[in-house]
Amino acid sequence: MKKVPRMTQATKMVLREMLADPAAHYYGLQLIKATALPGGTLYPIMARLERAGWVTGDWEESVAHIAEGRPPRHYYQFTEDGAEQARAALAGAYRPGQRRRLDFGMPWPDLPGIPR
Amino acid sequence: MNQPADPASTAPVLAGLLAQTTGHRPGADVQLITRAYQAAAYWHQGQTRKSGDPYLTHPVAVAAIVADLDADDQMLCAALLHDTAEDTPYTLTAMRQEFGAEITGLVAAVTALDQVPAEQVSAACADDAAAVALAGDRRALVIKLADRLHNTRTIRYLPRAKQVDKSRQTLAFMVPLARTLGMDSIGAELESRAAATLRRRPGSASGGLLSAAATLLPPEARARWRAEWLAELQVLPTRREQLRFAVQIVLGIGRLAVTLYQPAAAVRRAFGAVLTAAVAASGLVAGGWRAALALAATVLAVLAAVLWILHSHDRTQRLADLIRALRGRR
Repeated sequence: MKKVPRMTQATKMVLREMLADPAAHYYGLQLIKATALPGGTLYPIMARLERAGWVTGDWEESVAHIAEGRPPRHYYQFTEDGAEQARAALAGAYRPGQRRRLDFGMPWPDLPGIPR
Repeated sequence: MNQPADPASTAPVLAGLLAQTTGHRPGADVQLITRAYQAAAYWHQGQTRKSGDPYLTHPVAVAAIVADLDADDQMLCAALLHDTAEDTPYTLTAMRQEFGAEITGLVAAVTALDQVPAEQVSAACADDAAAVALAGDRRALVIKLADRLHNTRTIRYLPRAKQVDKSRQTLAFMVPLARTLGMDSIGAELESRAAATLRRRPGSASGGLLSAAATLLPPEARARWRAEWLAELQVLPTRREQLRFAVQIVLGIGRLAVTLYQPAAAVRRAFGAVLTAAVAASGLVAGGWRAALALAATVLAVLAAVLWILHSHDRTQRLADLIRALRGRR
């Protein structure tokens, strides 16, 4: 089921974090720390991104986990065109900084105490 | 061939060790070994291992391991005495007078190995000559390995943090050292034991909570999420952080379940509303965490019930069952 995931604020944060290095592997806790999102928000997002085919999950293969004394991690990575689609979705998504103003054909008056 | 000085005073453990040694090497200096045993027994008197056993069991076990490696008399005595210099008032000077320079030198080398920085040992592990140069004597390295082997076999009596610490050290330094010295069976045992210790998951409330939460997910997805979360849990340093991680996931388990089950869009929207309301309400009662928890539990229960109904082959039948069950209880 390929479906474009809903571009919530949290989803955008995760995508931006992962796009910092689109080829890298990320694990859940790492993204939780980087985005400051709670796990209850992050993991459903990862599930949605996986379902959309933007991101794939894979288990850690190196032996580092044995030396560090923990089970193998589940790593997420962009699929071949996942990063492209994510970039496009981020660019097309509504951004609060670019809110369109009503245009009355004249400049806004400068009023003291009221930010433009 | 010498006989034990006084058979009546030799404990059964010593008799076993002597039998083992003379089995390998009929010409072993039984008297010397007996004296070393008695000295170790005297100086370790009253000390106990973490397991509660008399401390003496450790040097005797190390000597037994060493004996199986065709050790000479000096090595056996040094194995018996290896912790006296470090952990008891027995001094190397006194030891030299009683047991001679060779045994004392071995004990000193084994003791010194504990104080060498890990990087140097690991560099020395790369080749045999460097390792021997570091220890002064190849035999000291063998005793050190036997010491670590017995400690690894009895590691379950240590606190968890120490177990992890020691096991990592064993994998990083001791296993390569054993391989360098050509002691492959000891290397293999050390490696498998240390790896097993590191693999064992400590049972924790957070892990239990996550496992329980995962049962709300579709059956085919449960194992994956459980394993993923437990792996993350392991790297969180404190119990408090682990619990926070687990609680946050539990609070979001509804969303994950909905994503994974992929119910119809209308149902999904309804869930979204229910969950949003739940979160908002939890926020309202902030401070009354019991109420927030109860609310979250209720929401989860409702969600689980709805998902259970949606995932049956005969939804109406299951809904009817559920209603009947609820009525029956009242």
